[in-house]
Amino acid sequence: MLQAQSLSRVFGSITAVDDVSFDVRPGRITGFVGANGAGKTTTMRMLMGVLAPTSGSVDWEGRPATAEDRRGFGYMPEERGLYPRMKVLEQLVYFARLHGFSRTDARARARELLEFFDLGERSGDILDDLSLGNQQRVQIAAALAHRPTALVLDEPFSGLDPVAVEQMVDLLHAEAADLPVLFSSHQLDLVERICDDLIVLSRGRVVAVGSVDDLRSTTSEQYRVVLDTDAGWLRDVRGVEVLSVEAGNALLTLDGLPAAELAPLLTARGTLLELTRVRPPLSEIFREVTG
Amino acid sequence: MNPTTDQAPPHWRVVAEREISTQLRSRAFQVSAAALLLGIIAMVVITTVVSGLAQTSKVAVIDATAQVAVTRAAPLAARLDDNLTVTSTPYDDAEAAEQAVLDGDVAVALLRSDEGYDLVGDADVDPTLAQALSASVTSLITSANAADQGVDLEALTQGTRVDQRLLDPDASNATLRQIAAFVFVILFYITALTFGMGIAVSVTQEKESRVVEILAAAVPIRALLWGKVLGASVLAIGQTVVLAIVGVVALLATGNTEALTILGPAIIWYVVFFVLGFVALASVWSVAGSLASRQQDLQGTTAPLQLILFAPYIIAVTAGESVRTVVSMLPIVSTMLMPARLAEGDVPWWQLVVAIVATIAAAVLFVRVGAGIYEQTLLRTGNRIGFRDALRSSKDESSTVTAP
Repeated sequence: MLQAQSLSRVFGSITAVDDVSFDVRPGRITGFVGANGAGKTTTMRMLMGVLAPTSGSVDWEGRPATAEDRRGFGYMPEERGLYPRMKVLEQLVYFARLHGFSRTDARARARELLEFFDLGERSGDILDDLSLGNQQRVQIAAALAHRPTALVLDEPFSGLDPVAVEQMVDLLHAEAADLPVLFSSHQLDLVERICDDLIVLSRGRVVAVGSVDDLRSTTSEQYRVVLDTDAGWLRDVRGVEVLSVEAGNALLTLDGLPAAELAPLLTARGTLLELTRVRPPLSEIFREVTG
Repeated sequence: MNPTTDQAPPHWRVVAEREISTQLRSRAFQVSAAALLLGIIAMVVITTVVSGLAQTSKVAVIDATAQVAVTRAAPLAARLDDNLTVTSTPYDDAEAAEQAVLDGDVAVALLRSDEGYDLVGDADVDPTLAQALSASVTSLITSANAADQGVDLEALTQGTRVDQRLLDPDASNATLRQIAAFVFVILFYITALTFGMGIAVSVTQEKESRVVEILAAAVPIRALLWGKVLGASVLAIGQTVVLAIVGVVALLATGNTEALTILGPAIIWYVVFFVLGFVALASVWSVAGSLASRQQDLQGTTAPLQLILFAPYIIAVTAGESVRTVVSMLPIVSTMLMPARLAEGDVPWWQLVVAIVATIAAAVLFVRVGAGIYEQTLLRTGNRIGFRDALRSSKDESSTVTAP
């Protein structure tokens, strides 16, 4: 397990990251969301040890992470970076070898990753000759080159087409099924779909943390109601807050009324055509916790 | 984590291997290495040709006296210059002889004039040849005149002979020594600048492409520094050794064994000083690279280094004897000046010791300070960082980067 323990980072008079703590559990994909400038990249750089925290620590398997522990992590920095004039295969071999792979093992591993992305035929090309999407595939391959013990991926899906996103999600499931994976993104629909856990950062502070399901249940649940009569009377019911109403249709949240009493309440006044619980989209949670 | 950790090579070696293989495959390196190689060979060959191993000077003559004078001048010329052979070529008249001089068929023409003989050359006359021919003509005519006048020439010329005796025959190769000294200075200047700049460019490229962020997460930053310094040093020293060997082989092949006995020690010392001088500067080149954020910044951040290399070059070429002696013991400067001084003549052993100790001390200092600055500046991007600023932040341990 990878843990941030009260991480803070001050740049001059600005506190970029303020007392941030969270767990990234193995076998779970943890989404790291927040507006631009919320401190996601700074936090991730501190996790990787390329930036020293002003205070706080990073723990790995229950004890402070050593430099050696961190070298086992796979890292995809926000600012993409590979050798632009180096051949694709050679880059991956180089990164694997820096992590202690033998020449043969490094070569086999690099080929395996390139094959996964259908880039096998481009392995002899220099990086600059690849399309941006393909360069990004090589970038994530570089993060995976040494069979990492954990993954820290900063905006891994930005700039990718849907096909590439699917490929990368498949790769994450295949390669990192039992690893702690932290990835930042502001594509909330994507985070919602593939993440198990969520950390929401706002102005350098953690404002929400937990599994996606838990977070959903903490936000007030919404119900869609369709009656055969005008639903305007719901406004006057205690314990119910009506968000919108139009003829027989209403969207409401419970404000004190137990969920079990909702259906009897509705059927008592006429015919209930439809009652659905609406799961709020992540963007709703996001707005709520950061607002 | 992976199956091969046990026999894994150290990080710096993997970094150095990449530096070396990238450089070896770069067109710029191949061209410059080939140019230097050809330059050395050309230098040796041209020097050999100019110093004239077997130079035959033909002398145009139109009368019998001149022909005899030339024949007698031959042993005289050989005594003055081992390589000089003098032969006569008869022509019909003065005009034909002068034309032969103009055409370059003969070196000079020896023609009768109203007062004796004229040595006729086109633009100039080789002084050794002139000396031998003049002496020969004078002696020939004098003895003829003496016989006419009934004078005992031997009695007249007794005790007038002047011979040369050399106390320091080595110094006779002054030209060769000066050329060699100049080659040492130029060679270090070019090699140190090329490979030093190579280190700086390679560091800046990693910063510019942002790959450094991944590298810093993968290996200790110092390992990156050592790898680069090692890679560039291996290449620079390798090239220097190859050039030294080629130089020696070229000297042997052109029959300059004498030159080799003179220059041999200087060449060996050159390699020794090169290793020390280059390694001392290599870490500073890395720092210059880490201070720049983009390639355009490099001209500025490497300026102090270019000056450090250029100053001794100027001193080597222009300074007087005593100044050269003193500065030749300074670090870096010694790499250029010591082999040059050794090529020019003897250098007291204590001065060599002082130079070597000073360079090693400087290397240790530069590497220490350099590594500190490098760690602090490598991950800083955005704009150029000043040397002073970098030095200050390297002392402030708590700043940007975690030292692993």
